[in-house]
Amino acid sequence: MNIYLAKRLFALIPVLFVVSLVIFLIIHITPGDPATVMLGESATAQDIEALREQLGLNLPLYQQYTEWLMKVFRGDLGESYFMKETVLQSILSHLSPTISLAILAQIVALAIAIPIGIKAAIRRGTATDQTIMGFSLLGMAVPSFLLALFLILLVGVKLQWLPVAGYKPLEMGLWTHLKYLILPSLSLGAIQAALITRMTRSSMLEVLNTNYIKTARAKGVKERGVIYKHALRIAFLPILTVIGQTFGGLITGAVVTESIFNIPGIGQLIINSVERRDYAVIQGVVLFVTTAYVVINLIVDVLYGMIDPRVRLERK
Amino acid sequence: MKSPSLAKKLCLLLLAFSLAGCGAQTAQNEGAKTETKTEAKPAADAKAGGELKVAYQAQPQTLDPHVTTSQASATIGRNVFETLVTVDSRYQIKPMLADSWEQSEDGKTITFRLRKGVRFHNGKELTADDVVASMNRWITTASAGKDHFKDARFEAKDAHTAVLHLQQPTATAMPVLAYLGGNYPAIMPKEIIETADPKGVKDYVGTGPFQFKEWKQDQYIHLAKHPDYAPREEAADGLAGKREALVDDLYFQFTPDASTQVAGLLSGEYDVAADVSYDNVERLETDSNIKIEVAPTGMLTLYFNKKKGLFTNAKARQAIGAGIDAESILIGAYTNEKYYKLNHSMMMYYQLGQWSSDAGKELYNQNNPEKAKQMLAEAGYKGDEIKIVTSRDYEDMYNGAVAFQQQLEKMGVKTKLEVYDWPTFTELRNDENKFDILVITNTPKPEPSSLAFMRKDFPGWTDSPELDKLLASFRGAANLEQAKAVYDELQKWFYEYVPVVKIGDGNSVSATQISVKNMTWLDGLIFWNVSNQK
Repeated sequence: MNIYLAKRLFALIPVLFVVSLVIFLIIHITPGDPATVMLGESATAQDIEALREQLGLNLPLYQQYTEWLMKVFRGDLGESYFMKETVLQSILSHLSPTISLAILAQIVALAIAIPIGIKAAIRRGTATDQTIMGFSLLGMAVPSFLLALFLILLVGVKLQWLPVAGYKPLEMGLWTHLKYLILPSLSLGAIQAALITRMTRSSMLEVLNTNYIKTARAKGVKERGVIYKHALRIAFLPILTVIGQTFGGLITGAVVTESIFNIPGIGQLIINSVERRDYAVIQGVVLFVTTAYVVINLIVDVLYGMIDPRVRLERK
Repeated sequence: MKSPSLAKKLCLLLLAFSLAGCGAQTAQNEGAKTETKTEAKPAADAKAGGELKVAYQAQPQTLDPHVTTSQASATIGRNVFETLVTVDSRYQIKPMLADSWEQSEDGKTITFRLRKGVRFHNGKELTADDVVASMNRWITTASAGKDHFKDARFEAKDAHTAVLHLQQPTATAMPVLAYLGGNYPAIMPKEIIETADPKGVKDYVGTGPFQFKEWKQDQYIHLAKHPDYAPREEAADGLAGKREALVDDLYFQFTPDASTQVAGLLSGEYDVAADVSYDNVERLETDSNIKIEVAPTGMLTLYFNKKKGLFTNAKARQAIGAGIDAESILIGAYTNEKYYKLNHSMMMYYQLGQWSSDAGKELYNQNNPEKAKQMLAEAGYKGDEIKIVTSRDYEDMYNGAVAFQQQLEKMGVKTKLEVYDWPTFTELRNDENKFDILVITNTPKPEPSSLAFMRKDFPGWTDSPELDKLLASFRGAANLEQAKAVYDELQKWFYEYVPVVKIGDGNSVSATQISVKNMTWLDGLIFWNVSNQK
């Protein structure tokens, strides 16, 4: 197990290297740089050139890249050009809104998807099944921003129950914190739920047809036990993969949702940094996001082994 | 990425059927203190206390105006920092940190007498040393400083007198020093100036009615009332006179998405939406809880590439001026006549009291495509593709460019419109191979010689010996009144050489809750003397 983990983590290094190189080249080839943005609307070419020099942006690309890389090896992601903080501080300060949102959205998604997915599987072919599948198809087709705008209009502007924009940290109280996240997590979670529902249904159907479920039924296990104890455990594997992927997507930034609800999360950070050509932050965030994605996938793989002994990995 | 067009449409739809439901505002009222009210006229119906939450589109890089020309930085920062002099609503120069000033007869020295008893937010009293440190840094780092005050120096004469030594008489000195838009000459403590780096000062300490509290990156800037602020005694007028923080806390909440601003305003989350998209205004106007404010923003302008291509020829530039129908481009850019003004002057319509000339008026907004066609032929146009470049980050620029492109086609010109995000645009515009015409909203300036197209180094690259002569006599006049005599000739030059074609003046729209009282505008929104009692 440990060797397996070490291998997986080691394999991360070339991935990160390639990703960092590609992203470095893309953002540096794109016209415009931090100096043009920092100096404001009516800066002259001379002023921009002077600031470029001061910031070291006029050095050859390979030199800028190797300098950045050396720093990263020392654990230093550098300093934001635009903001008065280090890249690490930026990432950390933008991370908590995203994590809060991701967890809430995931809770919403699972609370909707698992029960109705199972229900659809049990009532296969009935009207219930078809209704559920119809809604999930709709959910997959509707983009999350549409649902977001609808929620803003109804709950925020018309009923004025919940705030429509912004973010308050947990320190300001649980309700204040949640209040700002309910609409965004509903709009994100409901869409995620659609995918997980379908996965749950098809996975359950497959399992319900297997021999050992028949055996369980034959030996008199109650239907409830059959579903939740025997079937769900195995059916959960592919569901877990989907959860891992969607959660990975949520952590790496629900870009549109964060933008609509003005949540200062990782997605917003990426958009803002691209608009400001804040090279240091873009590179840092991409590295972070790649790592997060790979690690989440790794966790999912490990969980596989814990849930299903058949998948358990070789060990001494 | 965002899909603005679809999102915009949806938002319109949503706003349309939300009109009915914008009922009670439920925002809580934080500490409604009734403070001793002063006799200031504009604040007559204003109570002090509470907070003001402003939804603002762009987060600036720094509040230090010496290192950035950003308007966002100025609008937020000038609540914290003050300048030696400022302007009233008619653009007359008025005292602020300097009580008085006098220019020597040869025009080469200006002596500023500072107000006594002015305190920085760190408690230190303002002295001439702070002024000298701040102004000399501004002269060497800010574009406006370098442009007008080359080799000029400030010196302290005594604790409360600072003297500006100029190499030559500079008629533009006072209006430039009084300008409070991007790159304004803020006064900060000497110690702060000394520790600044190229990205700006490390602490924001000024003398203004608000003091800097907190900057949560990408979320908000929090300013708070400066309790020891000693306002000037003259009545408030424009940026001049009495300034008073009537709210205890002032928040600039960064909301890059325009529809989020509007939704946040309608739901009571924000008190002010600083940049409302023109599409949203009509819906907001019908809401009885919302007030709309219209304020001038800039001049929609066509910048010609005078280094390369067709428009190196003045005749071709004049042809475009002859051919366009300014009004329909302005309708395209600003949607409604409330939000633009036809104006042939080089300066904005609200500056006409000071800068007015009818020179070239007949050459403005001619709307004569046939004449244009003929002039273009005379200029040697052979049907090559003309490249128009603009940015979609500002809706008036982009929409104006689209309307302009159609008109060029009418003049028989083959065109190609390229649209970029702002950083790309600012990079490309410095390359003479990348465009023929730029569509830009020109920033208003305190006096004509500061306008961007007068500069040799600004994209478009105006290079006219005649202008050099005019500028020398304009700027070299002993004072502003004498310089004004040259303005007619400058504007004549503007219509002959045609460095750019001005289409017209644009307004921006902001919206507030009705509880927000006395919000005014001068080169950006003004947040002192503004109350908010919910």
